[in-house]
Amino acid sequence: MQRVLVNIPSVPIFERVIRASADEVGRALGFSAERIEDLKLAVSEAVNNAIDHGNQRQPGKLVEVVFALDSDKLEVHIRDEGDGVDHVDFSRKIVEDHNLDAGMHRGFGMYLISALVDDCEVSSSQSGTTLTLRLYRKDNDHDK
Amino acid sequence: MTSEVIHREEFGDVAVLHILTNSVDAVSASAIEATATASAMRPITVLDFANVAFINSAGISALLKFVVSAKKSGYTLYAMNVTPHHQKVFKMVEMSRFMPPIEERDLAAYR
Repeated sequence: MQRVLVNIPSVPIFERVIRASADEVGRALGFSAERIEDLKLAVSEAVNNAIDHGNQRQPGKLVEVVFALDSDKLEVHIRDEGDGVDHVDFSRKIVEDHNLDAGMHRGFGMYLISALVDDCEVSSSQSGTTLTLRLYRKDNDHDK
Repeated sequence: MTSEVIHREEFGDVAVLHILTNSVDAVSASAIEATATASAMRPITVLDFANVAFINSAGISALLKFVVSAKKSGYTLYAMNVTPHHQKVFKMVEMSRFMPPIEERDLAAYR
């Protein structure tokens, strides 16, 4: 297994660093262009969630991202240093008229993550939350 | 982030808002939202995504401000030059119901 580790402060601009890393990792694994876009979006959502909700945008708190590559899959672990969560809602969220009228324009992130990766899971404690994303290599992916 | 995140073009009843940033995300969201005013829009308003390489849910939230402004003004909002990946994401959250795609050639009649 090969591992790539990136730590960022909880400042939104640095999410772009993780996204660029996801792009490179996806290319290294030979993922299709569409799958790389899926990976980048899922990782982006997870990192923003860790920055905003986990670490409450406190720059001194880190978001740690580990890309773990092996022969059959890519795992991405996104860990924050927050107080933990009781429940994560991955249910489908769509734009609806009544939400627009009420000014509720957010909340699509976890649904997008669950829809874009092959599977995902959450583990949480009082010392932080880790979201793990998995994308399995497919026959049309290839080594480069 | 400067305010030059959108370049506005107007002809007749049409406003085309060319998004200049290539990343519609948490960083660019506030600048994009600031442009989502009724005064920037026309009865037919088109968001042009030709320069946009990435959109996440924070960006979608910012784009929804255009949907709200258009709705309040009775204007029609369209999306142009949306990549296939972003079309997929827009469909997933049913954003395309509020901002259907339009082709550049469909605007020719208004120029």
